[in-house]
Amino acid sequence: MSKLKGIYTDIVKIRRMVFAELASLALKDAECEEFDKIPYRIIDTEEATYRSSIFKERAIVAARVRMGLGMDYETNQEHKLLSEGIRDFLNNDNQLKEPLVNVIRFACEKCPTNAHFVTNNCRKCLAHPCSIVCPVDAVSIEEHAAVIDQEKCINCGKCKEACPYEAIVNYERPCAAACGVDAIESDDYNRASINQNKCVSCGQCIIACPFGAIADKSMIYQLLKSIKRGEDVRAIIAPSFVGQFGPLVSAEKIVAALKKLGMKEVREVSLGADFASLHEAELFAEDVPEQQPYIGTSCCPSWTYIADKHVPETRENISDSSSPMIFAAQSVKENNQDSKVVFIGPCVSKKLEALSENVKDEVDFVITFEELAAIFVAADIELTKVEAEEEISDASYYGRAYANAGGVAEAIRQNLKEKYEIDPPITKADGLADCRKTLTKAKAGVLEGHLVEGMACEGGCVGGPGTLLATNRGAKNVSKFADQSPYKFAFENDKLKDRDK
Amino acid sequence: MVKVKICAGSHCSLVGALNILETLEELQEEYPDQIQIERVECLDKCEDIKKAPVVKVDDELITSAQNQIVISKVMERIK
Repeated sequence: MSKLKGIYTDIVKIRRMVFAELASLALKDAECEEFDKIPYRIIDTEEATYRSSIFKERAIVAARVRMGLGMDYETNQEHKLLSEGIRDFLNNDNQLKEPLVNVIRFACEKCPTNAHFVTNNCRKCLAHPCSIVCPVDAVSIEEHAAVIDQEKCINCGKCKEACPYEAIVNYERPCAAACGVDAIESDDYNRASINQNKCVSCGQCIIACPFGAIADKSMIYQLLKSIKRGEDVRAIIAPSFVGQFGPLVSAEKIVAALKKLGMKEVREVSLGADFASLHEAELFAEDVPEQQPYIGTSCCPSWTYIADKHVPETRENISDSSSPMIFAAQSVKENNQDSKVVFIGPCVSKKLEALSENVKDEVDFVITFEELAAIFVAADIELTKVEAEEEISDASYYGRAYANAGGVAEAIRQNLKEKYEIDPPITKADGLADCRKTLTKAKAGVLEGHLVEGMACEGGCVGGPGTLLATNRGAKNVSKFADQSPYKFAFENDKLKDRDK
Repeated sequence: MVKVKICAGSHCSLVGALNILETLEELQEEYPDQIQIERVECLDKCEDIKKAPVVKVDDELITSAQNQIVISKVMERIK
């Protein structure tokens, strides 16, 4: 997990301020020219605070504004007012498109790529084990210290381990270190660039970059405009939502606040998780091991993209069951065909899932908890003072626990035990790199008969880039809320009655 | 005993109050008898969002509170 996850930095502050500004302009039906003022409102100092110049700081905010509206990243090579571009975009397609996660290239500080360095902790000791253990003879002892020949070095790390003075460090680009699928490369100027053939849009690099040079696109504006037009917008909220908006804001208050914002209805995505866990249990019972050797869960889009892009041989064994998001959206649209559904969650890659051909009619908007928190501020909704109205009880204990690592497999296993008397071996992949490793194992045939859970974010959805809470705190809240559920198992959930259990 | 009031309102939660609260709670585990944390509704000091988050350490009001400032003020009083 990135070291920056869960720490409130000025990068987080600026990102959220941009979201709040966008939400505020959407709610005010502001003219396009107003967007030109956002960089000046957010960077309102006389001199630069963060970068070489204040103009650069504002240009970076402008790039964030564009992506916050769902627009593509643009280089700074052409003269174009922010508002002009925005007017074109809003009048034409007004639709977020791939690539979802982008490097704001002029914000990238060109960190050196993976390398071992000797720091001035080096005492040029007589033993100099660093040079002795090096398998490629890359470490020489020079006048003042050991020196690593970068041409020869293969980054094995043996010198680092051998040094008695902790004098050798392994320097990695934080974005590349966070990317478990090696999608971060360098462009001609040595700036980070994302290889879209490898990127699975998980968003971990957004959190990891200490210069805030990576951002994803957002649908805040489109969502709020839809509400403003008086469209029938209904929210489905992901299981990790509990506690994300502060310790005094109960689940019921969040629901009430969303209604105040203009949502006609709010449902737990955990209801969809109950559908999904029953469906995947059924698939497992029918198909494993006769039709297929193992089943991978389907709820994490980045996990399925890893299968698509990195280990395609395993793709057919990732369940084709719809994700909880889709099931929850369908349950809303069944009775409200003209409604629009917004998925609110911790997840970046769900934005991409919602754009795909077979999902785009089910889910109209995807926003993160972080984006929603900024919307509440822009709409002047004080969450602690909202009156909770109705209870929320859409899902079972195991459906609600989907948001924690291990929760998905456990829910499916409970269904398999109870309904089919099967207790399968479980393999859990936690985090991007682990997902890729696990799929590689699956391809090698060592997971025969397994139920394989994949979570691209460490800790599960509670570790998602769109959360406000630290992962461990989010996990505790999810477990506590699951305990309050009126049903233990998915198959006990009354709300699923109409469906074929 | 240091009494810390931390605003848990919409503004303050958006701009870092949750993270200050997390650090305070960790500190409280170390000094359970010396820190009292009260999570309060909006303290009405953040009409301008630049003043959020709002924290009160005993009688001292801190606006635009940063983690390191709040924690060091609490630590000063514990010593």
